Amino acid sequence: MSSIHLQNLVKKFGEFTALKTMDLVIEDGEFMALLGPSGCGKSTTMNMIAGIEEPTSGRILFGDRDMAGVPMGGRGVGFVFQNYAIFTHMTVRQNLAYGLRMRGLAKSEIERKVSAIAELLQLSPLLDRKADRLSVNILQRVAIGRSAIMEPAIFLLDEPLSNVDAAFRAVMRTELKHLQRQFRQTMVYVTHDQLEAMTMADRIAVMDHGVLQQVGTPLEVYNHPANVFVARFIGAPGMNLLKGRPAERDRGLVIDLGRLGATQPLPPALAASLRNHGREVLYGFRPEQTLLSAEGRGLRMPVDFVERIGARTIVHLGRDETAVKAVFENDVKLGEAVTVSPAEASVRIFDAATGTAIRAE
Amino acid sequence: MKRSVPFETFRYVAILAALAVTLVPILWMVSMAFKPIAEWSATGADLTWWPKQPTLDNFRFIFGESTSNLIVALDRTAAKPIASSLLSAIFGTAIAMGAGTAAAYGLSRFGSGQNLPLALIQLRLFPPMAVMIPVMIMWSFLNFMDSWWGLALIYGIVTLPFAFWLMKTFFDDMPREIEEAALVEGCSRLRVFTRITLPMMRAPLASAALFVFILNWSDYLIALLLTTREWVTIPVYMASLSSSMTGQLYGAKAALGLIAAVPPVVMGIAIQRHLVRGLTFGALKQ
Amino acid sequence: MNATAIMKHRDAAVSDGENTAAGVTDAEAARLGFRLTLPAQILVLFISAFPLLMQLYISLTDWSPLSGIGWWSAWELWNNFANYTDLAADGRFWSALGRTAIVMLVCVPAEFLLGLALATLFMDEFPGKRFFYSVMLMPMMVVPAVAGYMFFMLFQSGGPVNDLLSSLTGFPVTVAWLSDPTLALVAVMIADIWQWTPLMFLILLAGLVGVPEDQIKAATLLGANAWQRFTTIVLPKMKTIIVIALAIRVIENFKIFDTLYIMTGGGPGVATETISVYIYKVTTQDLIWGYVAAIALAILVVLSVVAVLAMKRMAQGREA
Repeated sequence: MSSIHLQNLVKKFGEFTALKTMDLVIEDGEFMALLGPSGCGKSTTMNMIAGIEEPTSGRILFGDRDMAGVPMGGRGVGFVFQNYAIFTHMTVRQNLAYGLRMRGLAKSEIERKVSAIAELLQLSPLLDRKADRLSVNILQRVAIGRSAIMEPAIFLLDEPLSNVDAAFRAVMRTELKHLQRQFRQTMVYVTHDQLEAMTMADRIAVMDHGVLQQVGTPLEVYNHPANVFVARFIGAPGMNLLKGRPAERDRGLVIDLGRLGATQPLPPALAASLRNHGREVLYGFRPEQTLLSAEGRGLRMPVDFVERIGARTIVHLGRDETAVKAVFENDVKLGEAVTVSPAEASVRIFDAATGTAIRAE
Repeated sequence: MKRSVPFETFRYVAILAALAVTLVPILWMVSMAFKPIAEWSATGADLTWWPKQPTLDNFRFIFGESTSNLIVALDRTAAKPIASSLLSAIFGTAIAMGAGTAAAYGLSRFGSGQNLPLALIQLRLFPPMAVMIPVMIMWSFLNFMDSWWGLALIYGIVTLPFAFWLMKTFFDDMPREIEEAALVEGCSRLRVFTRITLPMMRAPLASAALFVFILNWSDYLIALLLTTREWVTIPVYMASLSSSMTGQLYGAKAALGLIAAVPPVVMGIAIQRHLVRGLTFGALKQ
Repeated sequence: MNATAIMKHRDAAVSDGENTAAGVTDAEAARLGFRLTLPAQILVLFISAFPLLMQLYISLTDWSPLSGIGWWSAWELWNNFANYTDLAADGRFWSALGRTAIVMLVCVPAEFLLGLALATLFMDEFPGKRFFYSVMLMPMMVVPAVAGYMFFMLFQSGGPVNDLLSSLTGFPVTVAWLSDPTLALVAVMIADIWQWTPLMFLILLAGLVGVPEDQIKAATLLGANAWQRFTTIVLPKMKTIIVIALAIRVIENFKIFDTLYIMTGGGPGVATETISVYIYKVTTQDLIWGYVAAIALAILVVLSVVAVLAMKRMAQGREA
């Protein structure tokens, strides 16, 4: 069984707490992304799973085996470092064969497996090249191959694509996903790139400052962010968040957006949850679900800046605290005042003080 | 990496053992230096590790005050040998550092003297004995024999490779932007060197100078051949510390040895960061 | 400074910026560079040109400072290559060389292995590391001549070494180390190992620390144990440094003199006479300087050839 259970995991480095009480279950055969900005504790978590670091407190279980005291050489995990840590004084072949050599496998057996993995990762013509002269793209494949050849039940990758050039990144993403499907390994993938996590993972664990923010499928974290951090971090650009207060109006409960001089209607389910809220909230909606609407039926804001990135156009409206980004196809001119409004079903509300999402009842 | 408890204990035991081996000879010399004649001439079962009656007699003795009538007074105190060692080492260092630093800068910044790196390493390759005869003849011709300034000159030449290589790696490590900025401002290249580069290099220069000084101070063979009476250096003089009655004056030798050994050890520890660079001619840095 | 001068310097700075030691485009720089390197060049020439020529000359003669004529008139005592043929037949010379080789073959590997062992102990952080490190370096900073006197005292038949051995073995040890041909050599080697192991330790530790930690971690994760990591990752990565450390020690050990000469004077008899001691004795006792010049040149030639070959090897190694 190669599921991973992290229970009450805490890691402190002297005074500094890198990871504060992490509880997470990674299912057998699942592709789990640990996503978050630098310093959020994702690499620390992974190092503890691998055995490179020891937890300050808490348990790590592989299946039902407690990993406390099991040294990093004996956990049977594959690990790909951010900078690959390829043995630069050896050839590609020797790199790939290393783990099997350490295990004491027969030479012919090693040869066979090396050829197989080289074939799979398209490294066959490079097998006898010395590893210190190879491009980053090749090194990355060697790093993966070196671990994959051991057929570990658990595969850990620490931001493996961050040093690879953008064009190659897309190719590698698919390859990695294929590998995982093929070998049915439990894969834990650390990244700060939310797009990467969204495209590759079965589930994403979003982290910030040593705290797990939310665990869910890509769609879940995208559509139902648990808090303001996840709402902002997921999606490019992240969710728009405007300060407001619930207020009673004839048509029902609305969010009074104060400064913008607008009030926005709420879907009935949400309105029910907010009835007795009273405090300040954050009115959230995704730029991709923001549409031009009729005058008076939305937020009237001037166009500040238009970003055209290939297929998408991101329109920046308003400024500072009341800035909103929208993604739509319509042609707008700089300085022009337009009215936008989110699709009603896409509205999300968060408590302004705690940042947690307020769900519909 | 976290180490297991057995390994940690092994480490400490091993290091303490190494420490003991390292320090015992040195501490023995220290101990002998402070022993009265009865103790330092003891043998076998009478040996004691530490002086029972520590005394400064040995130190007084080498500077001319004989406190025991078992030892005849020296015909010469240790004062002049100490002076000779000091003067020859200081001026030798000055020569090596002067020529070496200038040449290192010339090579590092202007590519001049491409032959020097190889030539200077070759200088260290050959046994000194192989060139001492010509040196003795030359020095004799120049009237440099048995003089501290003659010693200083040969010391300067012999440690020039170290001064050169050390300073060259230091110059290579120093970014040129500051010098280039000064050049753009209108400074002449020489002024850049003297007014900007050298002041910035105070610490490396000091370290290199101390390194070279240690080497010069530690010489024996050259002084043995080039000095005979007037300006013998400490190690050469130490051989004469014996008396017809008591043989070798261990106490006195230990005392003088201690005096001679302390400066380089202290300096060495002060510049330990740069030792690897100096000893491997810049091939390695710590 | 007027505008033209400033412009000239700005242009010079620009062109200079692209140049490292590979070549100089600015005349002023070249002139200054030449002047800066001149003192060193003169000193080097002084110590290599004249000695070489002079020794070439007198090595072909029977000259000695006792012969009553100045060295420039040594041609009067011309003997063709007699000195060189004598050298080839000089038993004492070859024994000295052999002895030097034995000392080298014992001391250098011992210093290397001990230094490496110590370096591995010092790899991680531990309390007191800085203090222990400084103390471990002390032997190599002790003036070699003083170390000679130190060990001379230690190895006396009534001295501390025998005293220690007596307490360790239980029965009285009064070996006369420095009077016994074999033991004297052993004593000398012990002194050398004591003094220069820290040098190996210093250099090898610097090399050890330079091994990329990531690769060591990767190896551990792939199942390598400590010994396997050491042999497959650490040692290969230290190859260059090991070569440098060994080269330095071999060269210095070949020249061994100070400590040895003070401890034994080359004796008893010639039991500890290494090549430097032999040359010293012939120079100062026999005073046949023509012959010594021949020895010196022979050594110079052999060492130069070895050095050139070694450099070629290193250059090849770098290209591979």
